Amino acid sequence: MTLSNLCAALIALPIALGAIAFLIDRTALRSALVVTGSVIVAALSIATIPAFGGADSAFFGLPGELEPGAALPAIEIALTGLVVVFGLYYRRFLAPVLALTQLSISLYLELSGRLPEADPGRLFWFDRLSLVMVLIVGIIGPLICVNAIGYMRSYHRASPMLRGRRNVFFAILFVFLSGMFGLVVSNYLPLLLVFWEITTLCSFLLIGYTRTDETIGYAFRALNMNLVGGIGFAAAIALLADQPGGLQLVELTRGPAGAALLPAIALLALAGITKSAQMPFSSWLIGAMYAPSPTSALLHSSTMVKAGVFLLLRLSPAMAGSLVGYGVAFVGMLTFLFVSIVAGTESNTKKVLAYSTLGSLGLIVGCAGIGTPELAWVGVMLIIFHATAKGLLFMVVGTIENRLYTKNMENFDALLSLMPRVSTLALVGIAGMFIAPFGVVIAKWSAIRAFIDVPGAPGAVLIVIMAFGSSLTIFYWGKLLIKVLSARRQTDYERSIERRVSRYEWLTEAPLALGVLAVTAFVGPISDNVIGPWALGSFSAEPRDFLHMAPAMVLFMLGAVMFLPAVAYWSWRHPAYDHADFYASGRSATPAHVMGAALGGIRRVTLRNYYMNGVVNGALAFRAGTATCGLVLVAMLAAGAMGL
Amino acid sequence: MHPIFFGLLFLALAPVFGGLVAGADRIVTARMQSRVGPPLLQPFYDAGKLFSKTSRQINPVQEPLLLGHVTMMAVTGAMLLGGTDLILTTFVFALAALLLVLAAGSASSPYSFTGAERELIVLLAVEPFFILMMAAICKVTDASTYGGVLASPKLVALEIPGVLLTFLLVAVVKLRKSPFDISTSHHPHQELVKGLTTDMSGRLLAYVEIAHWYETALLAAFTVLFFNWNVGLGLVAFAIGYLAEVLVDNSTSRIKWQLLLRFTWTVTLLFCAGNVLALFVLGV
Repeated sequence: MTLSNLCAALIALPIALGAIAFLIDRTALRSALVVTGSVIVAALSIATIPAFGGADSAFFGLPGELEPGAALPAIEIALTGLVVVFGLYYRRFLAPVLALTQLSISLYLELSGRLPEADPGRLFWFDRLSLVMVLIVGIIGPLICVNAIGYMRSYHRASPMLRGRRNVFFAILFVFLSGMFGLVVSNYLPLLLVFWEITTLCSFLLIGYTRTDETIGYAFRALNMNLVGGIGFAAAIALLADQPGGLQLVELTRGPAGAALLPAIALLALAGITKSAQMPFSSWLIGAMYAPSPTSALLHSSTMVKAGVFLLLRLSPAMAGSLVGYGVAFVGMLTFLFVSIVAGTESNTKKVLAYSTLGSLGLIVGCAGIGTPELAWVGVMLIIFHATAKGLLFMVVGTIENRLYTKNMENFDALLSLMPRVSTLALVGIAGMFIAPFGVVIAKWSAIRAFIDVPGAPGAVLIVIMAFGSSLTIFYWGKLLIKVLSARRQTDYERSIERRVSRYEWLTEAPLALGVLAVTAFVGPISDNVIGPWALGSFSAEPRDFLHMAPAMVLFMLGAVMFLPAVAYWSWRHPAYDHADFYASGRSATPAHVMGAALGGIRRVTLRNYYMNGVVNGALAFRAGTATCGLVLVAMLAAGAMGL
Repeated sequence: MHPIFFGLLFLALAPVFGGLVAGADRIVTARMQSRVGPPLLQPFYDAGKLFSKTSRQINPVQEPLLLGHVTMMAVTGAMLLGGTDLILTTFVFALAALLLVLAAGSASSPYSFTGAERELIVLLAVEPFFILMMAAICKVTDASTYGGVLASPKLVALEIPGVLLTFLLVAVVKLRKSPFDISTSHHPHQELVKGLTTDMSGRLLAYVEIAHWYETALLAAFTVLFFNWNVGLGLVAFAIGYLAEVLVDNSTSRIKWQLLLRFTWTVTLLFCAGNVLALFVLGV
C-alpha cells in the first residue's frame, strides 16, 4: 500500500471500529472486535515503515485526490456543537463560550476568503518524526485498548453502582487513536486543528466517563484548558493566513522564525503547552487521574500530551534563539522542577505517575524551546521511552488497583510477595522510566551537556533547575520502589490474588514490558537511523554523533534496566534463603510482619514513607509553580507579539 | 596510557585505599577520645570475619541488591577514571547509592526502613550538588572526562571555590558522619540501633563495608578533580579534609533530617549554584 492509502486507513479505520463498538452491546462480541481491530491498526501502523522507506519526508493528499473543501469547517461546526450541547446540559458555560470563540475565528477566516487554498497534494507530511509518532500511537494505543477490556470488567465489578457504558468507552478510545494519527501526519494547519480538537473532545469524554460530579468537573477543566490552546491555534492560523507558505506546517519548521512569524509561533506554542499540560495548565492532567486507568494510560503514553510536545518539537527550529524559545524552555523546565517537588509529597500512585509524566514532558518542552539538534534528539528519545514505560506503568497500576482496591502507594506494601509477576512488570516500567538510558538518565545527561553551552545566566539557571529536579525524581521513585520490593509471608488468600488478573492484561502488559527492554537494547539503531537523521535534517546541521555511547555502554544500561526486575523475578522463583525475622528490640517478630506487643498481644508492623512533611507543602508548591509558569507564559506570549 | 587502565586500577586498589582510610579514621577517632584504637588493618579483619559468618536475610532481594550496590559503586569509580563522561558518572553514582536504600527498605523492618528513608533524604540532599559540581568542572575546564580535567591548565579549586566549599560539607553527609549520620549510627544505645544496616548480617554487611571503601576512594577521586594540577596535591587535600571531618564527627551530635535537607540545599544553592551562575555570567 502507498503511504497515502495507509495514512487514510489509519485515520478512517479506528473511527469505523469505534462506531461499530458503540453499536455492540454484547461484551464478548465487542471484546472480539476490539482485539481484532487493535491487531489490524497495529499492523497498518507497522506497515508504514516499509511504505515510508528511507526517504527524508513525503507529502501527499487524500486517496483519489479528494479535496477536503467544506468538510473541514463542517467538522469544526459539529465538534463545537457537541461542546455547546454538553456545556448547556451540564450548565458549564465557559466551555461553549471558548469553543464558539474558536469557531468564529475559523469561520471568519473561511468566509472572508483570506484562507489560502489547501494544496491537495500536500495535505499530509510524513517524515521520521511522524513515523516515530505513528508507531507509538499505533502499537501502544491498541495494546491499551485490549488491556482496557480486562480492566473495565474488574472496574465495573468493583463499582456496581456505576452505569456501564463500556460501548461508549471503547468507541472513544478508537476515535482518539484516529485523531492522533491524523494529528501527527497533517501538514495543512486547518486540517491539523481539526484533529487537535478531536483529541481534546475525546479526552473530555474519557475523563468524564463515570459522570460523577467530581469527574465531570475535571472533564470540563480539561476541556476548558485545551480549548484555550485551541483558540491559540486558531488565532495562529489567522495570523499565518496572510503569510506566504500556504498554511503548511512544514513551512514553519525551516529554521529560526523571523519577527513576522514569531507571533503565530508563540500562539502555537501556547497550544502545545496546554495540550502537554505544562504549568499553569497542569491541573487538568492531575484531575484526569480520577478516570479509569486505561484513560490515563492513553493520555499519558501515546496520545494527548504527546501531541503537545510533538508540535513543540516540530516548532523547535523556529523557536531556536528567540525569546519565545527561552520562554517555552523555562515553562517546561520550571514545570519539571515544581512537579518533581509535588510528586515527593503525594501518596496516590496514579498521581505520582502523573507528576512524573508532567516532569518528563517538561524536560521535552525545555529541550524543544532551546532548539539545538542535540536537544531535539533528546526530546524525541524521551517521547519514545516515556511512551513505552509510562504506558506499561499505568496499565500495571490499573491491574494492581483493581486487585488491591487501592491507589495509595502506602498500601502497595509487600507487593513483590503479593503479586510477584505483576511486580516484575512494574519494575520494568519503573526501571525504564528512571534508571535506564532514556527513562531520563541519558536525556538529563545530554540536556545538561547542551545547557553547559547555553551562554549567560539562562544556561546556569537551566542547569540548577535540572540538578534539583532530577534529584527529586530519585526521591519519589525510590519510595515507590521500596514499597514494591518489600516482602512478607502471605496467606493463601493473598497468594491467590494474582491468579485473578485477566489474560487481556497479561497479554498486553508483558509484551509492552518486552518493548521497554527492546527500545533500550536497540537505542543505537533507533538513534542512528531515525532520530539522528531527523534532528540533523530539521536543523540542517552537520552530521554528528548524538548517542556518545559505546555498544558496551548500551549493554551496561540494558543490564541496569533489567537488574531490578530480574532480582524480583529470581527471588520469587527461588525463595530458598536463610531467613531471619527482623530486629524488634528483643520482641518477637514473624515473617508475616507481626510483632509481639505488651500484655501478650500482637501488633502488625506498618511502615510509612516520608513525604517531606515540615519541609515542603505540596499544594503550596503546586500553586507556586502554576503562578511562576503563568508569568513566564505571559512573558513568552508578549515576546512573541513583539516578534522577539 | 589508555584511561581504561586507570579504571581497572581503581577497581583493584580502591577497596585497599578505602579500607586503609577507614582504619586510619578509627585510630584518629580513638586518639581524639583518648583511646589507643584498633590496628590500621582492622577494617579488613572485620570484613574477613563477616564473610565467615552466617548471613540471614528478611527478604531474598536484599543480597542481590547489595551486590548491585557494591558493583555499581565500583563501576562508578571505574567509569570516572576510565574516561566516561563526568556528568553521566554522577547518575550512576546516585543509582549505586539508591540500591543500598532499596536493600534496607525492602527488609521492611522498623529500624532499617527508617534508616532507608533517611538515607533517601541524604541522597536527595546531596545529589543536586554532585550534578552541579560536575557541570561546573566541565564548564570551567572545557573538558568532559577525568583525563581532560587533569590535563587542563586551570586549577579548578581556584576557579570555583564556592563549589569546593560545598563539596567539603557534602562529603561529610555522604560519608555518613555526624552531625549528618541520620541514616545510621555506630552506637547500639542510640535511637536507630544501626540504621539502615540493622537487618543485614554476615557477608551482606561486608558488601556494605566494601561499597563504603569504594565510596571513600571515589570521594578522594573527586577531590583530585579540584586539585587537577597534581594528583599528589589532591590526595593531600583529601587527607586534610578527611581529618577535619573526623574532628567534626567527634564534636557534633546528630541533627534531624528536615534540618539536614534544608541546610544542605541552602548551602548548595548559595555557594554552589551561586558559583555556577557567576561562572556563566562572567564567562570563564
